[in-house]
Amino acid sequence: MKKIITSIVLLSTVQLLFAQFNTTLSLSGRPPANLTEWGIRKDVLTFIIAPPQSVSFDVKIKATIKTLDGTIVGNTNLNTARIFTPVQGSTLVLNSLDVLPLENIIFTGKYQATLQKTGKLPADNYMLCVQLVRATDYVPASTEVCKTFYLTAYQLPILTQPGNEQELNAKLAQTAITFRWTPVSPASPTVVTYRIRVFEILENQHDVQALRSNQPLLDKNIVGATQFIWLPQISMMPYVGEENKPDSASKRVIGKKFIWTIQTLDNLGQPLNQTDGNGESLSEPKVFFVANKN
Amino acid sequence: MNKNQIDIKPFIVFFFLLFALHLKAQQKPVSFSVSGTMGVSYEGYGLDRNPSGWTGYTPRRPWNQMRFNFMPNFQFGKNFSLPFNINLAALPTNFAGPYSGFIPGGPKQSFKQWIANPVNNLAVNPKYKWAELQLGTQYLHYSELSTGDIGVFGAGFDLKPKTYRIKFFTGTSQPGINYYAGPPSITGAFKRSNWMFQIGKEREGKYEVAFNFAKGKDVVSSSSPPPLTIKPQEGFVVSMVTNVFFDKGWYAKLEGAQSVFTKDLTLPINPLMNAFEPFVKAHSSTTRDYAGSGAIGKKGKDFDIGISTKYFGAGFQTVGYPYLQPDRLDYTLNTKLNTWKNKMNIVASLGQRINNVSNTTLRATQLIGNLNWFTQFTDKFSLNVNYNNFGFQSASGINPYGIKNVSNDLGISPTYTWSNSKMTNLIGFNYNYSKYTERDVLTGLTSNNNTHTALLTYVPTYFNKDLTPDFSAMYFYNDVPLAKLKLITISSGLSIPVAKKKIQLRGQLQYNINKLNSFKSDNNIIASCSVDWKITKKFSWNTYLSTNYFKYGNSIVPNGANYLESTCRTGFQYKFDTKK
Repeated sequence: MKKIITSIVLLSTVQLLFAQFNTTLSLSGRPPANLTEWGIRKDVLTFIIAPPQSVSFDVKIKATIKTLDGTIVGNTNLNTARIFTPVQGSTLVLNSLDVLPLENIIFTGKYQATLQKTGKLPADNYMLCVQLVRATDYVPASTEVCKTFYLTAYQLPILTQPGNEQELNAKLAQTAITFRWTPVSPASPTVVTYRIRVFEILENQHDVQALRSNQPLLDKNIVGATQFIWLPQISMMPYVGEENKPDSASKRVIGKKFIWTIQTLDNLGQPLNQTDGNGESLSEPKVFFVANKN
Repeated sequence: MNKNQIDIKPFIVFFFLLFALHLKAQQKPVSFSVSGTMGVSYEGYGLDRNPSGWTGYTPRRPWNQMRFNFMPNFQFGKNFSLPFNINLAALPTNFAGPYSGFIPGGPKQSFKQWIANPVNNLAVNPKYKWAELQLGTQYLHYSELSTGDIGVFGAGFDLKPKTYRIKFFTGTSQPGINYYAGPPSITGAFKRSNWMFQIGKEREGKYEVAFNFAKGKDVVSSSSPPPLTIKPQEGFVVSMVTNVFFDKGWYAKLEGAQSVFTKDLTLPINPLMNAFEPFVKAHSSTTRDYAGSGAIGKKGKDFDIGISTKYFGAGFQTVGYPYLQPDRLDYTLNTKLNTWKNKMNIVASLGQRINNVSNTTLRATQLIGNLNWFTQFTDKFSLNVNYNNFGFQSASGINPYGIKNVSNDLGISPTYTWSNSKMTNLIGFNYNYSKYTERDVLTGLTSNNNTHTALLTYVPTYFNKDLTPDFSAMYFYNDVPLAKLKLITISSGLSIPVAKKKIQLRGQLQYNINKLNSFKSDNNIIASCSVDWKITKKFSWNTYLSTNYFKYGNSIVPNGANYLESTCRTGFQYKFDTKK
């Protein structure tokens, strides 16, 4: 009898060993800081499941995010996790939405608080470990695979010169206007392009309205640098003399008025931050005036 | 009607009923007047590039554009007014934002897209005593942290009974716009429905207390195909504003706000995130964060001082300010001083901005200091000195060095005037030195970027002539590693009234020489003139012409490439007022 029991246990163990799934985890070393963006950008995370020869059970994905010292940041709630039914000979290719569905990850303490406020985790080095478990009893069905990654959000450039509502001397501005902005912070591992655009604000127009509705007088891609000297080649003489402007114009412009902004693009020419703010990676625009100063 | 929009029709009916009852109750016939402006203008643009086929310079204005404005105010009696604000452009010229790609020659707009396109404005704001209806496109500014930058097409009201303030508006800030690969490509947008509400009390010059609520929600199915990079969003913000104005110019301003923002409505509902029921349900991409601003200070005739601060949490976002950059703390000290019998004027500010208060990215700090010092030493001589300092610094992260950019600008501007029996002469000089340093995050090496600018201006003013000329010469030199740029500009302007002062002629001529490194110089001439003709007291014809000829030396290929760019604007304006 003892021999029979030993044989059954041995057979079960061997069957389980043979039923182990082969998995491969691929994760960008510097993924987007906003965790919801992982799901939008399919290239961030790929998890491949190759089922064994004979498979007769469903699985769930157990994902754990840790800091490098092993502190658990968040892990999958297995009770509500999605069930996958592997089909023999059919490889499953999954992405972030399947492996790390945020509605099903329980984050701990300060990480949960930061995520709720910002949609991000604190800037740091992390490790993502993924393992398949049997859907019924959560017994491991694959070896745990782990990848490290560095998480930090990008801060878009802040426009510094000309300052907001700064009045420039028309005699200087008609030759050259120097634009400066802060770089993307932290520095991107690939070269970023700053697309600078300047729009004229016409009579009766609101500032942002001009940005959204006029043709830019300047539209230039600046690679890497944070300064641009614009030679406007525009007469800064007002279109109409001050004494001839209509009295009731609600938005009178003294001299000429412009609005400018920077759009930050990655090395593929796409907006660097697609989920933060306006989704276009446009920095907060600033307004400046050009007027005669004698 | 979209579920997110609120039906305002009963309010409009009520408003007009109120006005009708008022008219009936009046014994005397109601006085009536109309005042305002109307006009039409044409803008033409031309660009001729040589050699033919060269595309190194691209057009920067629409080839043709017509603009119409009609802004009358119909006044019925003392209490009822009907102001219109209609500004229309014949052709769409959208190059940034959701409408980008609606340009001449591009895809056609639907009527809904045309009416909500920010290039057009159609609004009427009937006002009866303290009640104002707001119809059409409105750019409403409720507060600094709730809503203010975006035009919304819809309907609402602004009620000011005694010291109470009740405002409400609902509408669409953008219709659904399908993604279009182009050319020209259209970014696309989801239809966004907005509403905003304010309730508060205000006594002008004394105090203001108000609660603001603003919401915007995208309709997921409103564009097909949907935008590639933009996700349907939903945002709600609530804020409280308190402004108090004390005696002797002292003031205190405070606003606190909380936003709940969903960056992607297509992601599933997530009970683990913070919601704000019943206004916003939590999705996986929902964040809830805070912002605050405060200022305290004193404003006087000769002395101002104030401290202001702003904080935006990393997850703070509102649909009313779509370009707001969060995750920062700013504080600034401002002061203004007039002294020495008002002959000395000093304006200064010093502030710091800390980015990444939330620690979701590397912390960066900015130091900003400005000083402008003007002194009128004698009747003839004055001096203006200004200094601006700006520094930006961040930790290194995974790079060997952190970002460190520092900008220092010093400007000195003396002015001297002298007179004789025929004229006054003004000669002004302006020198500006700018030093901008940047550290490379990989090598740690600092590069210097120095700019010198000198400007000399002469303006004679004749006592017995209407001629007003001015002359100026400018030198600009910028030195960065591998590039030295020199610019020399000579310009002159002239203004003169003719035809018994019915026509005002203005003209300007400008010649620039640009030299980059050892390349042959580029040459540029800009000529412009305007003719403002007052045909009658109320009717004027304004024409503006400008031409820009630019010829490259050998700094680009093909050598000697050149272009001629011309702009023409002409338009009629009619001012009317039946009272006069």
